[in-house]
Amino acid sequence: MGNDSGFMNRHYFLLRRLHSLSGILPIGVFLINHLLTNSTIAWGLVNSRASENVAPGTIEQVGEMTARRVGTFQHEVTFINEMPFLVLIEVTLWVSIAFHAILGVYFARTGKSNTARYAYQDNWRYSLQRLTGYIAIFYIFYHVATLRWGWTFMSPTDEPWSHSQAASTFSLALRGQAQGIGFGGILVSLFYFVGVTASVYHLANGLWTAAITWGLTISESAQRRWGYVCAGLGAGLMLMAWSSLIGFLLLDVNHARAVEADMHAAHGTHVETTLPVAEADH
Amino acid sequence: MSSTEALREHEAQERKANRARAKAGRSVIFKIIRCDGPGKPSRWESFKVPVEPGSNVISCLKWIAANPVTIDGKQTTPPVWDSGCLEEVCGACTMVINGKVRQSCSCLIDEYAPLEGDTITLEPMSKFPVVRDLWVDRARLFNALKRVKAWVPIDSTYAQGAGPKESPEHQQTRYRLSECMSCGCCLEACPQYNIEEDESKWDESFIGAHAISQARLFNEHETGKRLKGERLEELSDKGGVGDCGNAQNCVKVCPKHIPLTESIGAMGRATTIHAIASFFTGKK
Ligand code: HEM
Ligand code: SF4
Ligand code: SF4
Ligand code: FES
Repeated sequence: MGNDSGFMNRHYFLLRRLHSLSGILPIGVFLINHLLTNSTIAWGLVNSRASENVAPGTIEQVGEMTARRVGTFQHEVTFINEMPFLVLIEVTLWVSIAFHAILGVYFARTGKSNTARYAYQDNWRYSLQRLTGYIAIFYIFYHVATLRWGWTFMSPTDEPWSHSQAASTFSLALRGQAQGIGFGGILVSLFYFVGVTASVYHLANGLWTAAITWGLTISESAQRRWGYVCAGLGAGLMLMAWSSLIGFLLLDVNHARAVEADMHAAHGTHVETTLPVAEADH
Repeated sequence: MSSTEALREHEAQERKANRARAKAGRSVIFKIIRCDGPGKPSRWESFKVPVEPGSNVISCLKWIAANPVTIDGKQTTPPVWDSGCLEEVCGACTMVINGKVRQSCSCLIDEYAPLEGDTITLEPMSKFPVVRDLWVDRARLFNALKRVKAWVPIDSTYAQGAGPKESPEHQQTRYRLSECMSCGCCLEACPQYNIEEDESKWDESFIGAHAISQARLFNEHETGKRLKGERLEELSDKGGVGDCGNAQNCVKVCPKHIPLTESIGAMGRATTIHAIASFFTGKK
């Protein structure tokens, strides 16, 4: 089968272990961090300092809770965007995800699911690990293409995502409208729900199997104990992922926009004011 | 109780319950996959077999071979199967019974088809080439044992004195692994183990849980250790322990209760250490 498989065969062990490692570092660690950031749109409401930079008039208009949620989230996004070597981090992630996904598909194709005959829980775990990997490819591609590369033709809104108006533009990309949700928005939101759920499952189960791959867990009891840890982590991440989605679904885009404008005024950055959505949208 | 033991206990209880309600003097339908030879098409044939208390799948197959008439009265050839010990220690009679792989010699009809007219389906293992009917060729399974040099290298042409000492704990670990009878159940149930008829591809295709576990057994042997590096090299390469996808079906279907998933973890660890060591020392 040509040179490719020759290269593959010669470096098989290394490629296998890099595949396993890349799922954890950097991809897995990034995913945890990313969900932590995004879920501030929900738990930001406990962050009483987040509304410090929002004008009292705006708070009166949008409410203290929205001010805190959008304020915390925008603060986090701004922090990330001011990180040095951000492009390097991004490229590392893209390369790692592409590497993991390509090899992942190759490895997934070497197996043949047999849950119909052997309907054991572990066997379902195995099949789901492959299925969620495939889902993650489509989901991550859509997520990056619409938000990072600005391919808004796949999005229910024409407005590209902007890191200076992170909450409002994402909420628009999710729902397609300033309040409530339309048909396209329902489809996109469902896709996000499935995609993010699949990704979290894949990471949690991947951490569990990686411990066997590297030989950290050997005995069945060690595997069970590590399984509780992974399940706990997975449950926590799932809560974060779902609360992020709910947070963005329950956001008034114009209110978020007002908070974001105040944040930038306080931060001293100039943001091109975007018109309220009702007028800007079509 | 571990989850694997719990699952086994649950399955044993089900079989026991069937045994308790088994009807005396009943007949059972055997649905068997027939195939006249390698590459030939296969077909189902059904037979009605009177069962006696204590009948097992092989005793029923013998009855069918003596009366090769299908349920619709059609005369056919006697079915062919493989067997040896008839006491679940050689592994030769392994086949897929009611959808799951196991030994046919130890498969009691009372536990699987307790009532009049109940059906038992017999299929050959799907991961090995069929020789005829229920008989498959397990050569690749044995080739895998050669790949990991599953033996103790010893020149027995002269006396070498006493061997190394062995602790009882260590011996207990190895004893469990040594019970493997090369039956192939772990391979049949494994989603990462696919049929490969092309012999030239055997050395690169997934080696299987049994061989991973045997590599561990002989690496743990005081004299067998001498080939440890070679075994770990083989397990690191394509088709080695890395190709396991951790579905853990193997450990659940192994009739000898061999802790296969522990062996997979142990060989994962050993190959990790081996790779780090050879990175820094340059030794294989
Ligand atoms: C959300 C991003 C992803 C994360 C966080 C991630 C993480 C992981 C982790 C930690 C493992 C465990 C490695 C091991 O068992 O040693 C893993 C395995 C795997 N991943 Fe991913 N992964 C991601 C995306 C993908 C994609 C897009 C695919 C494409 C199908 C994929 C396919 C696989 C496969 C097939 C395995 C099992 C490898 C094996 O056991 O042989 N993953 N992943
Ligand atoms: S744990 Fe590995 S060897 Fe065992 S059934 Fe699963 S994939 Fe096959
Ligand atoms: S490990 Fe168990 S299932 Fe596999 S060949 Fe040996 S005895 Fe059979
Ligand atoms: S004949 Fe030996 S195991 Fe059944």
